[in-house]
Amino acid sequence: MLELVFILPILAGIMASFLPAQLGRGVLLVAALLHLQITAMAWLGKLDPSLPAYFSTAPEGMLVLLVTSFIFLFISIYAVSYMKETQMDNEPIFIGCMLFFLATMSMVALADHLIVLWIAIEATTLVSAPLIFLNRSKAALEATWKYVLICSVGIALALLGSFFITLSMDLGNVHVPLTFSSLVAVASQLDAIWLKAGFIFVLIGYGTKMGLAPMHTWLPDAHSQAPSPASALLSGALLNCAFLGVYKVHTLMYAAGMGDYSSNVLIVFGLISMVIAGIFILNQPDYKRMLAYSSIENMGIIAFGVGIGGLATYGAMLHLIHHSLIKSSLFLSAGNILLGYGTKLVNKIGNMAKLFPKSFGTFFAGFAGISGFPPFGIFISELLIIIGAFRTGHYVSVSIFIFCLILIFAGASRIVMRMSFAATDQPVLVEEKMMRVVPSFILLLTSLVLCVWLPEDLYQTIINAISVIGGAVNG
Amino acid sequence: MIQLADAILAVVLLTVLLSLGSNRLMALVKIMALQGIMVSITPLFLEHHQNLEGSALLLFQVMILIKGLLIPGFLIMAVKKVSIQREIEPIIGYHASIFAGLGLILLSAFITDKLHLSMPGDHALLLITAITTLAAGLFLMMSRTKAITQVIGYLMMENGIYLIGTALAKQTHTMYVVEFGVLLDLLVAIMIMGIILHNINSAFDDVDTALLDQLKD
Repeated sequence: MLELVFILPILAGIMASFLPAQLGRGVLLVAALLHLQITAMAWLGKLDPSLPAYFSTAPEGMLVLLVTSFIFLFISIYAVSYMKETQMDNEPIFIGCMLFFLATMSMVALADHLIVLWIAIEATTLVSAPLIFLNRSKAALEATWKYVLICSVGIALALLGSFFITLSMDLGNVHVPLTFSSLVAVASQLDAIWLKAGFIFVLIGYGTKMGLAPMHTWLPDAHSQAPSPASALLSGALLNCAFLGVYKVHTLMYAAGMGDYSSNVLIVFGLISMVIAGIFILNQPDYKRMLAYSSIENMGIIAFGVGIGGLATYGAMLHLIHHSLIKSSLFLSAGNILLGYGTKLVNKIGNMAKLFPKSFGTFFAGFAGISGFPPFGIFISELLIIIGAFRTGHYVSVSIFIFCLILIFAGASRIVMRMSFAATDQPVLVEEKMMRVVPSFILLLTSLVLCVWLPEDLYQTIINAISVIGGAVNG
Repeated sequence: MIQLADAILAVVLLTVLLSLGSNRLMALVKIMALQGIMVSITPLFLEHHQNLEGSALLLFQVMILIKGLLIPGFLIMAVKKVSIQREIEPIIGYHASIFAGLGLILLSAFITDKLHLSMPGDHALLLITAITTLAAGLFLMMSRTKAITQVIGYLMMENGIYLIGTALAKQTHTMYVVEFGVLLDLLVAIMIMGIILHNINSAFDDVDTALLDQLKD
């Protein structure tokens, strides 16, 4: 029963929506723990899909599932303490939607059928919209409206792309189930033009959800307006799921012999995202928006790495894991800062190192990690992508890539320095609590550990995931 | 039978142009209801969908119910609730919009002509209508400021996607794919946007998305 991975959170979510808040928090924690256990069982190969026509344990999906499940556990621990501090009005709705969100994202990770994948990604929009609107402020309303409208258009275009892929099957007289695993095997018989059109529409559609520029406009608003645990989940897990959709169609293109075309498109979108993120981070007045733009940048890096191929693909997959870990940790620390100072404006915040030493520690370490400093994993993943790009002779694009990294580091470091050490007269509203620091600390620690020691299973899964598009460590 | 299909498609094209030119929200909703019904019965009159099974017929009935009754019903409720009758300041004027609509038809005809080589079957008008509806929906979303009109634009875009799916689907198993996807999409669009519309209404006096511009860099 592989499907338990998403059935369990759905059931827990329904339960939590009707239970009083106190019990709901318990349900959230228990469900998160169980989910991680089921994920672990799926990794060990103990679970088989009961609907093999729709779901499978594709390596790239398993990777995303593990990352999602892992960060969800720590985000939910944080969320319990966060809910106590903020006295949320609609706590049952918040808990319920978090669990539904987990369920739909797990479904994306496992989906093998073209349309099931689409439905699952669609459903993530549906259940995450209430999370963004939770504060019920004007700004939250605007963010939710933008999120739903822009992502709905994106998802509609992705559906169109899926139709085109189906059509390429019809024209090629291919009679196999509409699943990625069976389509990849017969990819060369698919009609080339319509498959290409399908790829473009799917990339624009899921790319909207993934936050690739220029379709990213919803992302900074949604990520800055959502409550911090939800932002962490949006950034650390949802973007990966959307990337998974793009990646699966990219493998299809590669198998059909049009990998060069789709790779170039991915490289271009990746670089545009990085440039735009760099420009907007430079003078960003709001630190949560800064983190959101950094997510756009990192999604750009992943798209770029996958587009380059070879060693860079391996780097991109590592980047996906480490970005999720570090960025969700950063959003959780940002949540502490927001609770503590009561403002998202960088100019009003200062002296974090004195007032909030623990949150400062995790925030600053997270900043170092996301900027690509050792000992965190992003150092390795970015290095691998750069080496991979040099090896394949993408000199111009890799120069832009490196320039953007420097630009973003410059912009972000100014903000982080100001927040950490400048003087402030802002009163401290809420003291930091151990329970809200430990999760972000553990997430960072995991990135550090994975940087020096990558478990054999994880390594093998990454290799299996990227070998389909010609990615390899020695490639 | 083919002529009947062409007539229906002509009606769809007409509703597209009408919706681009109408400034009364109530009329717009009624036009959308007509368009929804026309779009959902189109497959019934197409050659390659002739031999339908019982379950398929049931699906069509559900589609007509949703597109023709349920959603327009919700929209009418929304229009009454926010008590605005017309879209006052469109970004692009009504005459210009109709003109743009005509241009879109020409463009779609051009695109269809280009694609014709790799198209299954012979239904040029279907694809022209489909692309026009899709593009006009996008156009409506971008050129209007009221939240309700944007939702209507989104609906129109979906109708277009459904038509494209119908035009391109050749086999029965892919046909079901088309229907299932759109049904879910419709539900999502209306449920969520309906809720949000409601809240925009209580947060602002006017359901005008131009007011939603606080968040920017």
